[in-house]
Amino acid sequence: MMRRTNVSWLAALLASALLVAATNGIADARTPYKAKIPSGGTLVLGASQEADCADWINLCAGSSWGQWTMQEQTIPRPFNYAMKKGNWTEVPSPLMAGMPTVKTVNGRQVVTYKINPKAVWSDGVAITSDDFAYTLNQIVNGEDILDSTGYVNVDKIDTTDPKTAVMTFKAGEPFASWRTLFGPSAAILPSHILKGKDRRAEMADGYAWSGGPWLMSWEKGVAITLTPNPKYWGTKPKLDKVIFKFITNTSASFQAFESGEVLAIYPTPQLDAVEKIKEGIPGSRATITAMTGNTEALWINNEKPPFERRAIRQAFARSIDRDAVVKRLFGDIGVDKAVQTLNPPILSRYSDTKAFAGYTRNLKKVASLMKGEGWAKNAKGFWEKKGKEMSFTINSTAGDKRRELTGEILQEQLRSAGFKVSIDNMDAGDLFGEVLPTGDYQVALYAQVATSLDPGLCAIACSENIPGPLNDESGQNYQRINVKKLDPLLETVDVDTNVKERIRASKAADVVMAEYMVSLPLDPLPNIFLYSKKIVGSVRDNPVLSPFWNMNMWGLKR
Amino acid sequence: MPSMLTYISRRLLFSIPVILVASFLLFWMVRSTFDPCVKLRASKDVEAVARCETRLHLNDPIPMQYLGWANDAVHGDLGQSSRTNEEVSAMVPRALWYTVQLIFWGVLISAFAAVALGVYSALKQYSVLDYTFTGASFVGLAMPPFWFGLIAIELLAIMPKQWLGLDEPLFYFVGLHSGAEKGFGADYARHLVLPVMTLTVQIIASWSRFQRSSMLDVMSADYVRTARAKGVPRRDVVVHHALRNALVPLVTVMALDIGALFGGLIITETIFSIPGMGQLFVRSLQAGDAEVLVVWTVVTAGFIVVFNLLADVLYGVMDPRVRVT
Amino acid sequence: MTGKTPDHRSLVDSPPGSAGPSGMIGSELVPSASHAFDTAAHASPVARSQWALFRRRFLRHKMALVSLGVLAFLFIVCFGANLVAPYSNTEQDLLLGPVGPRMSHWFGTDELGRDQLSRLLYAGRISLKIGIAVALISTVFGTAIGAIAAYFGKATDQTLMRLTDLFLVVPAIAILAIALERFGSGDTTIILVLAGLFWMYVARIVRGEVLGIKEKEFIDAARASGASSTRVIVRHIVPNIFGPIMVNATLGVALAIVAESTLSYLGFGVEPPQTSWGNMLSQASGYVGTDRAYLIYAPGFAILITVLAVNFLGDGLRDAFDPHTDRHQ
Repeated sequence: MMRRTNVSWLAALLASALLVAATNGIADARTPYKAKIPSGGTLVLGASQEADCADWINLCAGSSWGQWTMQEQTIPRPFNYAMKKGNWTEVPSPLMAGMPTVKTVNGRQVVTYKINPKAVWSDGVAITSDDFAYTLNQIVNGEDILDSTGYVNVDKIDTTDPKTAVMTFKAGEPFASWRTLFGPSAAILPSHILKGKDRRAEMADGYAWSGGPWLMSWEKGVAITLTPNPKYWGTKPKLDKVIFKFITNTSASFQAFESGEVLAIYPTPQLDAVEKIKEGIPGSRATITAMTGNTEALWINNEKPPFERRAIRQAFARSIDRDAVVKRLFGDIGVDKAVQTLNPPILSRYSDTKAFAGYTRNLKKVASLMKGEGWAKNAKGFWEKKGKEMSFTINSTAGDKRRELTGEILQEQLRSAGFKVSIDNMDAGDLFGEVLPTGDYQVALYAQVATSLDPGLCAIACSENIPGPLNDESGQNYQRINVKKLDPLLETVDVDTNVKERIRASKAADVVMAEYMVSLPLDPLPNIFLYSKKIVGSVRDNPVLSPFWNMNMWGLKR
Repeated sequence: MPSMLTYISRRLLFSIPVILVASFLLFWMVRSTFDPCVKLRASKDVEAVARCETRLHLNDPIPMQYLGWANDAVHGDLGQSSRTNEEVSAMVPRALWYTVQLIFWGVLISAFAAVALGVYSALKQYSVLDYTFTGASFVGLAMPPFWFGLIAIELLAIMPKQWLGLDEPLFYFVGLHSGAEKGFGADYARHLVLPVMTLTVQIIASWSRFQRSSMLDVMSADYVRTARAKGVPRRDVVVHHALRNALVPLVTVMALDIGALFGGLIITETIFSIPGMGQLFVRSLQAGDAEVLVVWTVVTAGFIVVFNLLADVLYGVMDPRVRVT
Repeated sequence: MTGKTPDHRSLVDSPPGSAGPSGMIGSELVPSASHAFDTAAHASPVARSQWALFRRRFLRHKMALVSLGVLAFLFIVCFGANLVAPYSNTEQDLLLGPVGPRMSHWFGTDELGRDQLSRLLYAGRISLKIGIAVALISTVFGTAIGAIAAYFGKATDQTLMRLTDLFLVVPAIAILAIALERFGSGDTTIILVLAGLFWMYVARIVRGEVLGIKEKEFIDAARASGASSTRVIVRHIVPNIFGPIMVNATLGVALAIVAESTLSYLGFGVEPPQTSWGNMLSQASGYVGTDRAYLIYAPGFAILITVLAVNFLGDGLRDAFDPHTDRHQ
């Protein structure tokens, strides 16, 4: 049984819980910074969240902001991500001597990582295949591991050559998404430092070693301070220091940016943020992109009445003017069209980006669909069948003003189409931990967040992953999507290592999902990065790694 | 003074059961409402949830869980946060230190301002300034504190910076230090102005009103009239007789209020990103972190008890008419 | 200031003239031990002439009169919103979006193009309802507990006062968050929880006042004439401490309205589609310093004006009830 990583779900949980959209793509293709980047200076940035712990493979981690501010800066990874021909793709990171390769030997998948001979930890000890093996062992045999998907398929890592890690999968257990392994939301850990010790205790509150451009120190509740790692083999940081201050209050973080107390923020696309960007903040630049890893959608429970009927789901979809909703929310920053696939925008090459385009608001169509199902409008203008009025509830996360407003717009549009809708905004922990897994909902508004460039909706849309006894109630197909035509297509995306075949299957799956209207995609939750003009260098958003991924190439104008 | 000692120890002794019951009630309510393992439920590692439940003894009856915690606490182990796995004995003092700093400066400034405004208003009753102070204190009490904080930031930090074209704002509002700064110098002071202002506006408003009315009461008391009648200069009467006596009730009120402030200044800490007791509380609450909350409650309740006791003792010491028994 | 001796057995005793500590979340939810509760009205038997005196003193208090008028106006327009409001509560205009004040929309429109004035009036219903209900419930409950404790004394007093101590020590926000989690964030939950946070202060004041008058001759006389305890408390004691109770009840309204807005800001207030002034204010707080700042002013000033008016009204009541006021004038 092939399931896709659940990291995206954990991330979705945390992201929505704490109002953070995950990753960033870049829309503007500014020319690279040509002038000499000044050296020295302390750069102070705002961080909207503080991680609970820094033991990255443990369940207590799994925070987007933890990943951006600490993990990416200190932990090596096999891939970086770059825009090529309009698509985001993996490129080898400085840790690698070349692109990792995959092949099949004797029916087993074999992945080879060639490690850059110059790559060393901050104590000067080389990064070796032992580190890969140690990390794999920790993930497979450890307790409370954030995500062991894929790692459990690995048979062994051959460490004969310290600079080449050869990873052999178990027979019959290939893993098409192997590029997510040891990636930015997992880790490669220093075996020589941690072996034989309690990894969790060593790392949870921060650590003094590094395999990235920066060394970190974490003052709980206050800030994370990054200083250059003198042993880093790649581009050495120009700045003397980077400080991430925790500013969890959104209006305060904007004010801190306007006042110059912090020089960059990465806020959620709330309407007040949009307004401030529209009006302009002196001395600053804004990067806005719709090419994100996010899919905000109206996720429908396909088993729960009235939505167990396809026609009702379609009538629901045709009651909503999604373009108007998106334009109202993000029009001022140039995002005014609804997305038309359940795949996130950064996976556009795997998506049929027009799949859901047919679902526009059309009340006549709603009427014919509803009448076809035996419903008729009552005196109050609501659909009614056998004396029972059509009504349902949309659940969402509490404390997110944009979602509250979205809910109110939907409520109004659906009301005029004859649906009586109530809104229930709840604690994100309850929504993702309780309501969705148990299926105790009808429609839920939230964003799914992709943390890699690897496609695959099987985990959330294959019938075998509907929570049930077969998967110990741990399946993540919370929408209870059960379409026979869909399963083989999504399984191909998960298993086939041939990229062209994956693309074909994934696009076909999009069309099937639209045909059955399994859920209704809404918007890409545009990412906003605001930074002072004092920051110079190659300031680029990155949909997987955040805009903070290459701060070693930034400088500070005096 | 043995009677005083007896009194104090008896009071402290009597307060212990109340604190314990309060901490148990909170533990019970939090445990039966919030799920500390909720984060794990979205993961597909079924065992992780089971392990979490075993580790926190969630399958035992809640009173047993509490007793387990209390037993460890008696042996010096306050437990680990179920949210961060960190030692509670490290988290609470760290948060307390921030709150203590805010309270110290806030109270210091409020006390001076309130006494000055209150005494002036009482001595110049129904003067223009008296009306102004009264009006201002009513407005101070009527403004939701978060509104005041946000406006103060806008008016005092952002707008002057933009108008004067400064590189940095005059007053900071993120944390208590910028960047790598430490200590209690100019940087610290520039960070303190706005949060302390937000925190004190209501306190000054209410304390000054209180001081005004107690001063008015004292000024019309017989002994003050007698002193005036005897020809003691007004200044001497005010300073030596009236003010001294009028301070007694204010001091007791102050002690009570200070005790309650240790519960955290949630709004101030939220707006100004200060990781004090209030922020620790809110974060722990939403994560169902009963381990932290129990210790938090015992500590803050302890402060309430101590400062209430202080209020009574001060009252006894300062007011010759009252003797503690 | 009445110089009552502190009750030394109490955990969180109130000193003379004050009502006890501010509640566990500091000065931000329940302002101060001194605020609002520094009433020092002195009890004396009720007589018709007292009411005449009260009326005369109250009418002399200009600000209190103006405040009463303002409050009456707010009540009429908010509770009559379906008649007065220019637009319906929910009518959206997505194409219009947020626009500043103009003739068609006096206070502008919000992000969904909803008329801000209409929303303000409808939200006022919730805010005023919360304020009044909280004051009413906490006053009735607190008065009952305080009066019973003081009247019966001994074990009853001890038990009830330890109960109030307990409520003062358990963090208010915790109770609130737990109640919201369990019962949802409707206005009823918030009313009950806020009342649950305020009654202890009323109880303490009432207890103090009752202790002060329960040995007076007219109470003895009532008791001697064979009146039941309930009758003595309801007919003889409570009317004689009506002044401080009323003053505290008014101020309770103000406290509850401000507290509700603070809770909204922390994410514990009423939630859409229900709207209160506090909710509107906290939702718009991110617009400070932008062209959309008008969304902050309307609910902010609605709260400010209401709370000011209530406080002035309380001030007027205090002066009117307090026979000592004349002395200061």
